[in-house]
Amino acid sequence: QQEAQAIDQELFTEYKFSVDQLMELAGLSCATAIAKAYPPSSFTTSQPAVLVVCGPGNNGGDGLVCARHLKMFGYQPTVYYPKRPSKPLFEGLTTQCEKMDIPFLPEFPTEPAFIDELYGVVVDAIFGFSFTGAVREPFGSILSTLERVTVPIASIDIPSGWDVEKGKADGLQPDMLISLTAPKKAAVHFAGRYHFLGGRFVPPALQEKYSLNLPAYPGTDCVLQLT
Amino acid sequence: KRSPDPLYRDFTTQCEKMDIPFLSYLPTEVQLINDAYNAVVDAVLGAEAEAGEGREPCATILATLKHIRIPIVSLDVPSGWDVESGSSGGISPDVLVSLAAPKECARRFLGRQHFVAGRFLPYDVQKKFELNPPEYPGTECVVAL
Repeated sequence: QQEAQAIDQELFTEYKFSVDQLMELAGLSCATAIAKAYPPSSFTTSQPAVLVVCGPGNNGGDGLVCARHLKMFGYQPTVYYPKRPSKPLFEGLTTQCEKMDIPFLPEFPTEPAFIDELYGVVVDAIFGFSFTGAVREPFGSILSTLERVTVPIASIDIPSGWDVEKGKADGLQPDMLISLTAPKKAAVHFAGRYHFLGGRFVPPALQEKYSLNLPAYPGTDCVLQLT
Repeated sequence: KRSPDPLYRDFTTQCEKMDIPFLSYLPTEVQLINDAYNAVVDAVLGAEAEAGEGREPCATILATLKHIRIPIVSLDVPSGWDVESGSSGGISPDVLVSLAAPKECARRFLGRQHFVAGRFLPYDVQKKFELNPPEYPGTECVVAL
């Protein structure tokens, strides 16, 4: 977890990347990975409907970017964003989604069955690699509902609620994990079908410094399928 | 000529930290460029340029680029072209990448490939300006016209 935070810090302070730049690339890679694993033609719902659940921090921001690109790729995303930071970055991303006619749910579906009926995929953009400590409401209830959903869940960076290093045996078991920058320690516990690498912005010098040993991305693709 | 705007300064830092060398001057000897590189990306002047073509160092750069033999890829508007009426003796790029939507002058583009990179435009903006963009394949961010 510390390494992930150190890499992030270097990207911002030494390399002078802006949060907007990296968040856009991260969100785009998530949408691209989802499009590769769950193409619109594979949905059994009448429209390729996707539910994007956004948390209170940067993982949520990645989710907002992802929702917008999913719309561009022909999906019908719906966002649930209960705790919104009052920072221009997140306000801007929210406006961009709203202006693209992406609905924001006022309430989270109470039953897993409702989610299974309406959506073909759920994107978990609740907690990311900075997550520590206890899960605060409303996310505790949201996660326990998501744990009982049968449609595939795609988690951004870390399955929400998992310890960033040790995982969580009785927690969320997503079908897809999109590791951003590099897989986190907890990824060894990932048991779903699809593991993608995204966030193709780490300069070679930084990869070497932290011995990331990342495999090569194909061509100009922004994602790499690991499993 | 580097803008003092922090946005561009940061982009420059990002390039430098990725070991991308910055030349201190553009060789005027065309053969040197033909020998050292396989392609040139023209990101000199865009749609907002007015009399930029006449000012140095742009004028000399564009004069040099007119004579190179390796392909030129122009971003948005071939530098030195009028954004609406196109070129009169200006550079002839091999590839044009129109940003957001093709500009008027793109009608005069005679090179091999014209791409449009505008998949980020929301639908209501596209409709409002009657852009009628083509379908983008899969998850690609550019489409060949």
